[in-house]
Amino acid sequence: MTPQPSAVPDHQSQHERDCVELALPARPDLLFLVRMTAAAVASRADFGYDQIEDLRLAIDELSLAVCGEDPDEGRLQLLFKWTEDAIEVVGTYEPEETGRRPDISAVAQPASELSARILDALVDEHGTDVVGGCPRAWLRMRRRRPGQ
Amino acid sequence: MTTDVNFDVAQSEVGGVPVLAVRGEVDVSTAPELRERLLALAEQGTTIAVVDLSQVSFVDSTALGVLVSGVKRLRTTGGDLRLVVTQPHIAKVFEITGLTEVFKIFASADEAVAG
Repeated sequence: MTPQPSAVPDHQSQHERDCVELALPARPDLLFLVRMTAAAVASRADFGYDQIEDLRLAIDELSLAVCGEDPDEGRLQLLFKWTEDAIEVVGTYEPEETGRRPDISAVAQPASELSARILDALVDEHGTDVVGGCPRAWLRMRRRRPGQ
Repeated sequence: MTTDVNFDVAQSEVGGVPVLAVRGEVDVSTAPELRERLLALAEQGTTIAVVDLSQVSFVDSTALGVLVSGVKRLRTTGGDLRLVVTQPHIAKVFEITGLTEVFKIFASADEAVAG
């Protein structure tokens, strides 16, 4: 089923309608909110139970990739987009306005081995980069058909 | 110590072997408490220990890292860290990371203690 959020103006494209943005303090104890949002989006996009669980874990790993395990004060921004066939998520860590540059070591180096194995296994594509000095990570998960 | 209402660790003994029964979600926020509990067991001279994950609904790479550190620590003294995993989506995380080759995984604490 294609979601039709009623609050979105009609002139927006289907692609623009089917997206959710989440911004929150980059605190470890709030990661559960990221996972809850991922599960809600995947459910809304009509993904099955197994893929919802997969996306919850993948989003957690994506968030760790951009924020690190012990982030300084800052905000994590996530953009979820979905179509009939796939969900895409882009996560960006934005530091506080302290003038200090964020630690980009998490994306400048390969992700932890376990995290990389998890993402490799669960999503179809994923990657990291740095935009405007802010660590960014993204993933794409295609809908699996029954039997896949 | 974490105050996460969705996480706790209860320690008991089965046949003289310490069993840490974990409940809830083990992530970057809650994994440090599990690490502390495992470290405490090692410092007490424990050789064989069991972590029961049957009531765990989520584990991520930080949780796995804590368990890997724990098993390495106990094996250096000739011991072992055994796991109880019953939920398929938790078992899947161990499978896709290759950690089923590292840990001895059992269906119950009794079986884990028996080895």
